[in-house]
Amino acid sequence: MQQNSTTILVPVIPDKIQGLIDQLVEIKRNSQEGISKEFDSLSIIHYARWVVIDHGKSWINDEKKRNPKLLFVIDYDGEEGEMLHKVSENSSTILDLVYVFCEGYPPLNTVNTDSRKSFLENHVIKDAAVYIGAPGRSVLQIRKERKLRDFIRKFVDSRTWEDVSPDTVHKKIKEQVLANPDFSYLKEERVSMPQINYFGVVLLGICLLALLPFIIILVLIVHFFYERKDENFTKKRSQLDNDFLTELEVYEDFKNQNQFTQLVDMKEGNVRLLAIKFMFLLSNFLIKFIFTQGKLMGIPTIHFAKWVMFEKNSRVLFFSNFDGSWQQYLGDFIDNSGWGLTGIFSNTKVFPKTNFLITGGAYKEEYFLAWSRNSELVTNFWYTAYPDLSIKNVNNNTKIRVQLMKTLSERQAAKFLKLL
Amino acid sequence: MTMLELENIQGYLIRGYAHMLYSRFVYLQISDAKAAKKWLSKSWKEMTSARHIHDKSKIAPTHLNIAFTHDGLAALGLDEENLAAFSREFRQGMVSPHRTRLLGDFDSSSPEKWNWGAPQNESIHLCLMVFGNDKSASDDLGKDKIVCLDYYNKLASEFEANGLKEIFFIDGQTQPDNKEHFGFRDGVSQPIIEGSGRVGDKDDVIKAGEFLFGYKNEFGVYPDTPLIVKEQGDLNLLTPDAGGSGQKDIGKDGTFMVMRQLDQDVNKFWGYLNEKTKNPDGSINVSESLKLGAKFMGRWQSGAPITLFPDSDPGPYSDVNDFGYAKFDKDGLKCPFGSHLRRTNPRDNVDDHGKKESLKLSKQHRIIRRARLYGEIYEGSPTNTTPNGEVGLLFICFNADISRQFEFLQYTWANLPKNKELYNDPDPIIGVKENPDPGEEQNFTVQDEPVSRTIKDLPRVITVKGGAYFFFPSINVLRYLSTI
Repeated sequence: MQQNSTTILVPVIPDKIQGLIDQLVEIKRNSQEGISKEFDSLSIIHYARWVVIDHGKSWINDEKKRNPKLLFVIDYDGEEGEMLHKVSENSSTILDLVYVFCEGYPPLNTVNTDSRKSFLENHVIKDAAVYIGAPGRSVLQIRKERKLRDFIRKFVDSRTWEDVSPDTVHKKIKEQVLANPDFSYLKEERVSMPQINYFGVVLLGICLLALLPFIIILVLIVHFFYERKDENFTKKRSQLDNDFLTELEVYEDFKNQNQFTQLVDMKEGNVRLLAIKFMFLLSNFLIKFIFTQGKLMGIPTIHFAKWVMFEKNSRVLFFSNFDGSWQQYLGDFIDNSGWGLTGIFSNTKVFPKTNFLITGGAYKEEYFLAWSRNSELVTNFWYTAYPDLSIKNVNNNTKIRVQLMKTLSERQAAKFLKLL
Repeated sequence: MTMLELENIQGYLIRGYAHMLYSRFVYLQISDAKAAKKWLSKSWKEMTSARHIHDKSKIAPTHLNIAFTHDGLAALGLDEENLAAFSREFRQGMVSPHRTRLLGDFDSSSPEKWNWGAPQNESIHLCLMVFGNDKSASDDLGKDKIVCLDYYNKLASEFEANGLKEIFFIDGQTQPDNKEHFGFRDGVSQPIIEGSGRVGDKDDVIKAGEFLFGYKNEFGVYPDTPLIVKEQGDLNLLTPDAGGSGQKDIGKDGTFMVMRQLDQDVNKFWGYLNEKTKNPDGSINVSESLKLGAKFMGRWQSGAPITLFPDSDPGPYSDVNDFGYAKFDKDGLKCPFGSHLRRTNPRDNVDDHGKKESLKLSKQHRIIRRARLYGEIYEGSPTNTTPNGEVGLLFICFNADISRQFEFLQYTWANLPKNKELYNDPDPIIGVKENPDPGEEQNFTVQDEPVSRTIKDLPRVITVKGGAYFFFPSINVLRYLSTI
């Protein structure tokens, strides 16, 4: 089943903003350590979050008066319409509690599934690029495969295997699993791990080569006519606002997973727009062809991440759901994909100084870390369906399942056993 | 490569003073800032620097170093704006709700139960580190103790006159073979600061900016050093910010020091290992227990890496440190992925990155460790499990970025159970929760053939009793602090 992501942006009734924030605080207070369990019963939502934007701080001291809005971001299985229907039907209580503070929400005495759904649908905004760490895996599949792995592990630990050949161990595990009615689905539902699309990679390479002269011209234009005039971010982490950081930290690092929401503004001009659009296009191809196996540019800790451009391409949002701490996450980004991040974010205002679009920037570690924290937003509500699993676990569980059902040679069986 | 100004760097950062078997860590308050500054204006000369002394006979029998907490710098009179220029971790200190979560300080280790360093304890302003070595003796703890305490007594007799009030102290000891209470040789692998003049394996040579302000770090940028925002004191004593801001740098040649008092439950540690490896008749299987202990740690008790010596301890002690995991043990069959040392310094094998990339990542998370033992000198083993009274380790480490180094190691690599491809495996020495969440497993996976084995229900074997973050200034900066 395919995973999708939807972003919904709704204006908040200006004089009700405090009510909304209080409501979200209340929901969080009732959650388990900042992770709400509200969507568990739907079994199709991987991650969800509500974020209030344009209320309070503008990190670049933008003078422009903006009205507060509410972002709703959902990563889910299947089609958007079906998901919105289910959310509107089964999670109506929380939707009403939240959206009663927003403009245009149907009055509570008349609101129903259909009107909730069409309200949400009317406010959907387009994603620029979406990354999925375990493409094809539904929430149900992830839960099933977790159970399968736990079962196998328990069986393996129930006896010693000294001097038993790997293929015999594999066979014994398979017998044990298939004898259990809980796993009878394995015989019917065959799955496979997503592969790297080498044909696509080659094609993309050819296209990039063909475009190279234009890319070089674009980079040179950016460098000589834009980067030199850029206002750069030169704060260090020690100079950031204390209270804001405390607010961010309140709901971080409870479980193995964390969230990250970021909002920045585009630099003016069509060249910058062209540059960022090109980077998103490139990202989308790379995600589709290469980053299909649980790593985004070598970063092995991201479940779902995406970029969104809105308000006539003048602003950029970034969302991520990842394993481990913020410090590790950002560090990984610098090491593995500093150029990619720089290529995207150098087109947004007040970024650490870049050269030729993709150098400098994220590689200026201290400024980049401070920039990232400074442009981060408080995520007012966060849902994760499987906080106990890392993305490596999720993918490994699928590999276990796939290999379990195959007939394996001794060498293959030995490899399979390493996954357990 | 920039050579370091060793005579401006306090010595304990560069050298472990391993030959000084006895030390006293004295925690003090500044009761009279004026008197304390006057004392500092003379005593900065007395602080042991990192200057290399070729002729061992010329090394002084006593060493002295000093570090300040954020409260301490405030008490001394550093301006509020300058105090705010320090990193957030140092400003907040080791106790805050978020930090407690990162460090895993819960249950018996929760700050409410600490003996020092928590809000309910008396505020600590500075730590004097006093070391002694009887030069007429060799490796004699008792004689070193006399030298150390004589020196301490001399210093302490003037505390009051110097505006200092002693709160408490912890006496730190070192065994000649550097074994800690679980019985393992400690501190074998240490980073070598580039430009410090020390030599060693190139994979251990780390950019100075990882451990010292004013130099570039492993990312090629200058660490977040505290800069003077509001002019005070004799600014001529400070050098300008290497980062080019034009401000004066109070961090230059200094760093942050992390201190944590960790009680070690020797009985629980070896009791658990004995239980998991016992013979069918219930008796202790010493060699299997030692082996599992070595798998937990990553080295045998002698210090020999299990990666190179997978079957048994070559003993009696070993400094072997030139090895990589990718090269010798990619599958963890010798040193398990979850072992304490493999996860806190994964060398050339971070996740499934290549060797070069892994080394780069490892180098961004190194710390310089300076642990000292407290309590009875006791060498734990499968048959030696019950020391008299509390024993433990005064864990000390140096790093320029507490968040990216010490806290990252404790949280991301030790506490989180998801290292490598693991599922439920916290660091068996320092990452286990005393009370796991309902349904949460805490295991240790031993990679093996044909299939790995799970060692279940790990116990927490350490208890945090106190701790604090300190600023470990350069000698010039000590002098500067006397002028504010």
